[in-house]
Amino acid sequence: METTELLDGKDITVERAGEEDRTLLFKNHLCAVCGLCESICPVSAIETNPTGAMVRTEQDASKIDIDENKCVLCGMCSSICPFQALDLQIDGESIKEIAGYPHIIKSADIDDDECINCKACETACPQDAITITRELPSRAELITGEIDIDKDTCISCGMCEEMCPVDAIELDHQMPTSDNPVVATDINVDTDKCVHCGICKRICPVDAITQVCRICPYGEYEIAEPEITGTSYIDPELCVNCTWCQEICPVDAAKVTKPFEGELNIDSETCQGCETCVMVCPCNVLSFPKSTKAGVNAEKLHKDERFCIYCGACGKSCPVNAIEVKRTKINYTPTKSKAWKKAFESLEN
Amino acid sequence: MAIGLKAYREICHGCGNCVVACPVNSLRSPEVAGGKGPTDDVDIIMIVEDGAVQIKNPDLCGKCGTCMETCPVEAIKLEEL
Amino acid sequence: MPKHIVSGLKYIAAVNLRKQGQTQREIAEALDMDRSTVSHYLNGRNLSWNSIEVAEMVTNFCPKDFLVLTHALLNDTERTRTIIQTCTDSKFKGAIRNSCIGCGLCVDTCLMKAIVLNDLKAHINCEWCCGCLICVEMCPTNSIEIKEVVD
Repeated sequence: METTELLDGKDITVERAGEEDRTLLFKNHLCAVCGLCESICPVSAIETNPTGAMVRTEQDASKIDIDENKCVLCGMCSSICPFQALDLQIDGESIKEIAGYPHIIKSADIDDDECINCKACETACPQDAITITRELPSRAELITGEIDIDKDTCISCGMCEEMCPVDAIELDHQMPTSDNPVVATDINVDTDKCVHCGICKRICPVDAITQVCRICPYGEYEIAEPEITGTSYIDPELCVNCTWCQEICPVDAAKVTKPFEGELNIDSETCQGCETCVMVCPCNVLSFPKSTKAGVNAEKLHKDERFCIYCGACGKSCPVNAIEVKRTKINYTPTKSKAWKKAFESLEN
Repeated sequence: MAIGLKAYREICHGCGNCVVACPVNSLRSPEVAGGKGPTDDVDIIMIVEDGAVQIKNPDLCGKCGTCMETCPVEAIKLEEL
Repeated sequence: MPKHIVSGLKYIAAVNLRKQGQTQREIAEALDMDRSTVSHYLNGRNLSWNSIEVAEMVTNFCPKDFLVLTHALLNDTERTRTIIQTCTDSKFKGAIRNSCIGCGLCVDTCLMKAIVLNDLKAHINCEWCCGCLICVEMCPTNSIEIKEVVD
């Protein structure tokens, strides 16, 4: 009975088959190199590679290294990782689903009854974890009016076709022949496209078009409230519970809870503005603001702690130690194991 | 398998971008922070010597990758040593 | 020669099981033997006395050597457990410290299958613990303590 380690690209699998089959899976692309797994490991089996280098530069190595001679597949790294990069499975079942194993408490949900499918969350999500679909009504359902082109009066000048903002008018242009000496054989309006703006009527040099828009006087009676349907989906593997979706949602449909509470402190005197932390942060907490007034310096490094999950990746990556990340609370499910409680609490600083 | 700083002097043009961009260098030397090569004897990670980058104090390197981003010819790299 | 030692061990175990009141059939089942062979052993036949002497010495090895040798000879967990339990007089008690992380390494390593995990903590069954101390050596957090029970 031995522990084996397999590398699949940059992903790692560590296994031990015994009374139970234990498998530890590491997915490299999800890892933020925050170092929490390295800190919690009770046997020091995990070593992280330098955070700045792994996120900013092309590297062949995996973001972490797991020593199969030390790893005992206890699952602590799996339970603390806020990025779903590590998962311990026992007989094929993730310990996140096994009663008795504590896990960090976090959530992200969109209430579909409140959601108006505006897609702000999808755009704002730093991990592209959100997918919003929406079905909009056809344009014709939102307008009402009439349009008619008198084909006898029409001189086929094509001005209405050129000016129509939605390309609803089409002339069948042709080179006139002696047997058919006309420049166009037909003119038609696509009433599905027409928005009754009246431009064609007003431009027609021979007043061949009659058109009336009924939206303003009659709109309330004739146009039904548009029905917009859609779906929302937050990919639980990609979501890092940063709360961008919650903060940006105009109707409070997104609700997020974070696994850690804490403080983020920046020493702007020491900071040299290298941008490593900005690029490393998985939650878009940090940015270099631009100056808004001539002659006035902008803040060197801006933070918005609403989005911070206190993972510590920024502090770990800073080459001049200008960032301090404090964790004051780790929210985890109850456990009887004193060793596990101690391990979680050791990450509070 | 540790990742560390490596200089490829034969590729280097000696532009000094890496020296002045490096946040560790800038913190240690105000001259470097101002965009010049140091004239004082402060220990910094690398300098331009004989026309190309020379790593002097690799232990000071925080492996942030800023130098790599500023190098126009990939003459300085963070890689497995 | 290994099979002679095995025979010797089975002889000693058979005798002890008989003293505990088990029938020849039960003994045969427990030790993976023919009932007729059990009968012969109990009547002192078909076995060289040297085999028995060597087997006696093995049972007096330290618990770890006795267990590891028997397991290597038999390559059968159930029979190994039976022989070790039957041929040892000593009793052992295991205590698990709060530093136990529930990794299950001891559960997997224990040749006597004397350890289980409960609520992320190991529990040692003193009925089966033979005091080999392999789990104590292997435990990554140094959480196991085994003591011999002396009346």
